[in-house]
Amino acid sequence: MYLVGNLDNSLKSSIKDEIDDISKYSKTETRTDTTTTTTEEGSLPSIKAETERKSDTEFKIENPKLSVQSLKAWFSGKLALKGINLDVKENCVTALIGPSGCGKTTLLRCINRMHDLTPNAMAEGKIILDDINIYDKQSDPVLIKRRMGMVFQKPNPFPTMSIYDNVAAGLKLNGIKDKNLIKDIVHDSLKGAALWEEVKNDLDKPGISLSGGQQQRLCIARALAMQPEILLMDEPTSALDPIASSKIEELMNDLKKNLTVIIVTHNMQQAARVSDYTAFMYLGELIEFGPTDQIFKYPKKELTERYISGKFG
Amino acid sequence: MVRLLDLGLTKVSSIIFDMAGLAENTVSKAITSYKDDDTSTKNQIFESSAKLRFLQDEVSELCIELIARFQPVATDLRYIKSCMELSYVFSRFGRYAFDIITVLEILGPLELCDKSSVMRMSKLVLEMMDLGISALRLRDNSILAKIYEMEEMVDVLYRKSTRESSQIVIANNYSDNRCNISTALILKYLERISDHACYIADSVNYIETGMASPRR
Repeated sequence: MYLVGNLDNSLKSSIKDEIDDISKYSKTETRTDTTTTTTEEGSLPSIKAETERKSDTEFKIENPKLSVQSLKAWFSGKLALKGINLDVKENCVTALIGPSGCGKTTLLRCINRMHDLTPNAMAEGKIILDDINIYDKQSDPVLIKRRMGMVFQKPNPFPTMSIYDNVAAGLKLNGIKDKNLIKDIVHDSLKGAALWEEVKNDLDKPGISLSGGQQQRLCIARALAMQPEILLMDEPTSALDPIASSKIEELMNDLKKNLTVIIVTHNMQQAARVSDYTAFMYLGELIEFGPTDQIFKYPKKELTERYISGKFG
Repeated sequence: MVRLLDLGLTKVSSIIFDMAGLAENTVSKAITSYKDDDTSTKNQIFESSAKLRFLQDEVSELCIELIARFQPVATDLRYIKSCMELSYVFSRFGRYAFDIITVLEILGPLELCDKSSVMRMSKLVLEMMDLGISALRLRDNSILAKIYEMEEMVDVLYRKSTRESSQIVIANNYSDNRCNISTALILKYLERISDHACYIADSVNYIETGMASPRR
């Protein structure tokens, strides 16, 4: 039961008169907001309408390390990526999220030209890595791949090789013969992958003798040995237990100091925890891209909101 | 299929709207008691205030549990954060209602006092509470500007009435000074309630747009 229903108009006008009358007593303007701060009638701040929020300009990354431009990809004539535009910032983690089949992994595989290796697969568009279009006919896919390491969903150390040889394999394949140099790089890579302390006395043991989480970090060390500029991670923790997953997540945070990380994940909370930027994809399209904080707290698109809230997918 | 999180959100909403109704009634009862010089409602108001405080803790516990168990994002997360703030606001309403009736108990009876300035401000404040709760119920941020506008009026009335009260303090006149002191105190509580009504508006705006209110 309320004392009043609607605000009495006469009361309201009398108060307005009083406001005019005692303007000399008006409090000083101490509000910190810089948009609209006065207390005069008619200048009260308005609520930022939802439509206004929706009309905010598209998010742009300045000087991206990698820029995907109008990228289309097909599998056996079926369009899997429908003109993706995405900029990736250097020394940051960018997460790709979206339901199964939305094209996240295809995008990742296009970025290091692994998509080319799939039979009946085709890609069109540009991916600019430091001013070089990696889809340019003159670009060498092998050189491109050397600049990008990749870690897969399931740990896949070379089964017949020792821990040491797993990390050294890429170096040897690339013609590096200096044993001391290889030893230093293996050491640094295992340290970089936060595995050194756990395996330093067992370097001759088979890689597959390690636990799942250790094997995944071994694969990261193997990728790091090639000193990539970009590390692509395709659901790197989906086969791991929570402790091993959290180690990989902490590792990502360390790795981004020296390289750029792009991760595909189905785990929303993981994306929220580890990434600086998040791209939401759906049915081969990039629906929304922006700072992770914004995507998870105030997504601009209804579809993004519904997906990250678990209402579909 | 219903999301498990939705079950929790429904429960939080239910408590929040229970608190809203109880807070409105409690403040309304305190103002009516002041108007009628009736201290018999003190216990009821105290109990309501205590219940609001208890419910605030319950909302807080539930919200923390939902965050821990479901790790909500976007609107869900904003709603949960806002519910924690709203439960505090409603709890404060209860406290201010109790403060009002306490003034009456300490300084009353006040039947000879001019209560017009308090009653005038209380109309505005109750209307603000009502508008804020309606906006929350309907998730309608189109009426929030009106609440902010009314808060400006309350601020002006508060400063004006306080200044006037201070100018007519009469030496050795216990009766008149009781009136002035009680008016000043209750106006202050109403001014605080009006500020908290704006926090409801801020929360509605935050839930709907994800934006902090630009007014503070």
